[in-house]
Amino acid sequence: MNAIAPASHLRRSFIYRLLAASGAEFGEVNGGAVALHYGGSREAELATARRLGLADLSVLPHGGFKGKGTVEWLTAQGLAIGPDSNVAYKQAGGEWAARLAPTEIFLLDSLAGTGALLQRLNAAWQWAAAAPRPAQGYPMPRQDSHAWFMATGAFVPEMFAKICGVDLRREHFAEGAIAQTSVAKMSAIIIRADRPAKDGRVTPAYHVLADIASAEYLWTCLMDAAAEFDGKPVGLRALRDLEA
Amino acid sequence: MKIMNCPLNGPRNISEFVWGGEVKPMPDPAATSDQDWAEWLFLENNEAGIVREWWCHVPTSFWFIAERNTVTDEILKTYPAGDVFKSRVDFAAKAEKQS
Repeated sequence: MNAIAPASHLRRSFIYRLLAASGAEFGEVNGGAVALHYGGSREAELATARRLGLADLSVLPHGGFKGKGTVEWLTAQGLAIGPDSNVAYKQAGGEWAARLAPTEIFLLDSLAGTGALLQRLNAAWQWAAAAPRPAQGYPMPRQDSHAWFMATGAFVPEMFAKICGVDLRREHFAEGAIAQTSVAKMSAIIIRADRPAKDGRVTPAYHVLADIASAEYLWTCLMDAAAEFDGKPVGLRALRDLEA
Repeated sequence: MKIMNCPLNGPRNISEFVWGGEVKPMPDPAATSDQDWAEWLFLENNEAGIVREWWCHVPTSFWFIAERNTVTDEILKTYPAGDVFKSRVDFAAKAEKQS
């Protein structure tokens, strides 16, 4: 994939200037400009992701549905959603359905970033023409309201311990666990979604969702917290390589 | 830091919560006087002792009820509002004033 200039795309990272200043090379994913890698060797960036890496996935499709009847409607659409709130459920295509509340589902696309699931759901959802309307929830657009970062590597729980009050160590915060809490004094959603490699090696990985208007602030805080552990920004390529 | 137990999210730092006032029975808006309504809306009793208050977990916008001893500043108990408010309350709309 050839490098592109992020400013040439209408859909680009909200913090693309910070990423570019760190040496990011951008590529097109689903019509948007995403930081794919940071110029060094592929192996070195993968090693960073296994130690402590931060990636910006905000351009990848994310959204959701909420309201009475949401879970029933999504289940009818083929999603697998369990009964517990504050748990994220992995879907067949690698997407995550995060149950933030009994009737609120936040959907994160897989790192392929095609947006196929969200497109299908948004196309399928229709407000019934006349009352009485069935309780089926309603779309919850989050693409442009929430920044989406991913923190990967063995040192992520220690990094978060500096800026977040919730214990994110792996033995206390299971795969799929959700913490809706305060990160660097901002309200944020953290979801644990480990990246298992084909050789059985599992890299701890956490999605971070927070208000888009403060994306630069949060990214800077995370980078500052990560510096102590030699954490660096990584691109989408390294995140995909974690599962190779 | 002081810890509060959110009924939805579990124990969290107190900085994640905001106070929402005392839990008081709402007067019937159609029948009450303007003064009683304003007192219910704006004035707090500020009791010394055990009080029942609204609190909100800000990251999830989850409102719940906490029982707190204002003398010792201890949080005694937190629970979902649904434990107290079990059914919908309807009021007849007040007739519009004719001008």
